[in-house]
Amino acid sequence: MSANNEQTLYGILAEYRNPKELIDVAREVSKTGYQKWDTFSPYPIHGMDKAMKLKKSKLGWIVFAHGMVGFLGAVTMMYFMAVADYPTNISGKPFLNGPAWVPITFELTVLLSSFGAVFGMFFLNGLPKLHNPLFNAPRFKKATDDGFFVCIEAGDSLFDKEKVKKLLEEAGATHIEEVYE
Amino acid sequence: MSHKPTITDSLQFPADSKVPRALFGLGAAGIIASAVGYFFNADQFFASYLVSFTFFTGIGIAALMMVMLHHITRSSWGVLVRRISEVFSANMMIWGIFLIPVLLGIHNLYHWSHEDAVMADKLLQGKSAYLNTPFFIGRQVLYFVIWGFLGYKLHKASVEMDETGDWGITTHLRKLSAPGILLLALSLTFASFDWLMSVDPHWFSTMFGVYFFAICFQAFWPVMILMVFFLQGQGLLKKTIQQVHIYDLGAWFFAFTVFYAYIAFSQFLLIYYANIPEETLWYYHRLEGSWKYIAYSLLVFRFAVPFLVLMNREAKHRRSVLAFISIVVLVIHFAEIYWIVMPVFSEHGIHFNWMDITTFLGLGGMFFGLFFNKFQKHKMVPVNDPKLDDCLSKSYHQ
Repeated sequence: MSANNEQTLYGILAEYRNPKELIDVAREVSKTGYQKWDTFSPYPIHGMDKAMKLKKSKLGWIVFAHGMVGFLGAVTMMYFMAVADYPTNISGKPFLNGPAWVPITFELTVLLSSFGAVFGMFFLNGLPKLHNPLFNAPRFKKATDDGFFVCIEAGDSLFDKEKVKKLLEEAGATHIEEVYE
Repeated sequence: MSHKPTITDSLQFPADSKVPRALFGLGAAGIIASAVGYFFNADQFFASYLVSFTFFTGIGIAALMMVMLHHITRSSWGVLVRRISEVFSANMMIWGIFLIPVLLGIHNLYHWSHEDAVMADKLLQGKSAYLNTPFFIGRQVLYFVIWGFLGYKLHKASVEMDETGDWGITTHLRKLSAPGILLLALSLTFASFDWLMSVDPHWFSTMFGVYFFAICFQAFWPVMILMVFFLQGQGLLKKTIQQVHIYDLGAWFFAFTVFYAYIAFSQFLLIYYANIPEETLWYYHRLEGSWKYIAYSLLVFRFAVPFLVLMNREAKHRRSVLAFISIVVLVIHFAEIYWIVMPVFSEHGIHFNWMDITTFLGLGGMFFGLFFNKFQKHKMVPVNDPKLDDCLSKSYHQ
């Protein structure tokens, strides 16, 4: 890897041997106050959220809001159709027919909640994203196989190249490199 | 990551505990009081008895289902609490004795058992191939042979593994559980037809079996949760059964609250929408007079309240919240069985009788007395289970 000064620095990528080391370094990095950084591993690691001091995901609230829209939308739609606009006598049952409305209300609530969950997850993860500068580092391919990485981004307000390198190295990195956009 | 988890708690329920004897005492008192009541009002006695009997047998059936599900799926989440279910199901063999009063009261409980009533009723004649006294008794024996056999085997083999540490036994248990779960599903379906549905012999619902399973399985999780709290209140397994295991029980409780609502509402909606007099009459009786208050409280306390409370992640961690919701659901579970059986005997509204309580306390005392009696004979946790380490070192999935 030759450093190319004409390109802008994206971040410092460091590799570690195993999940335990990765958790330890995540704990160290979260203490320093960096905001724009992330860890990468081939599989989810229990305790990583805590080590990185991640906040609880907001996804639940997005799903809840969508679910409520589905619920209220279904009830309003059926009220408009079956009571307000075109009341029809179906075997003598009331127009405002609670039990018969339940399946559609349920289905629409579930449908919109799942939309909220999937697209909310896309939104929170910044997807779809066609390219990530980390792909410029060939070694990073190992993140889907046997590599455990930490990347601290240059966009962070506390970012200082030498300090970051020192921090990651002292935590026992086997390999450190600069990644360019 | 590599250290082997160890259990530091004592694994033996204290042999000198007064709990089983106190429960047997309560059970005996309740049964004697109910037996006195029999001489005053036999119809009421048998009806109350059937409600309480179904309540506790349902817990045993659900426990049997949980143990077999656990073996079939090779689960590790609940190894620590499996022995509790195993003891419940092992007692099904003895529990068959408590069916005898139902058989003695067959003429008080079941309209179809009167031959002159059948002679005068076209519908009952059509059903008489299934609903007749000898076949009814034969089926009851068969149910308890199946449940007794499965419960006995599952408990015995698991206890044997405590001693020998032979992991081959898990394969044996899995092979037993696969056909066992099928037999249990069929037998509990027909048992629910016999005990509860045929109280009103003109009515039928083809999904009554799964409805019965749904109410029993939902009510089973509160029993497990309260049992764990009780044991820990006695200072037992305090460090072994951790928050994460209780959280899992809460998650099951939540899941089967939703399942219950889905099944119970499906049964209602299908009958309501088709509007066939023969079917709707059953709900009609249960939605008039004071019976409607139970019907609506099922919606609120059996679905809405536990659903909204248990949905919250924190609520499943709070012992006080879990205990409270568990008690609410167990009370409403009793009310639901009461609501299924009793409108046949008092059409105009709830007519609460003291025998409803004495039979409940009598059978409850016996059920849990038998439980602790067996529970204290063996270890409270299957110590040599191959999945035990997995269960002990369990952590939260984020």
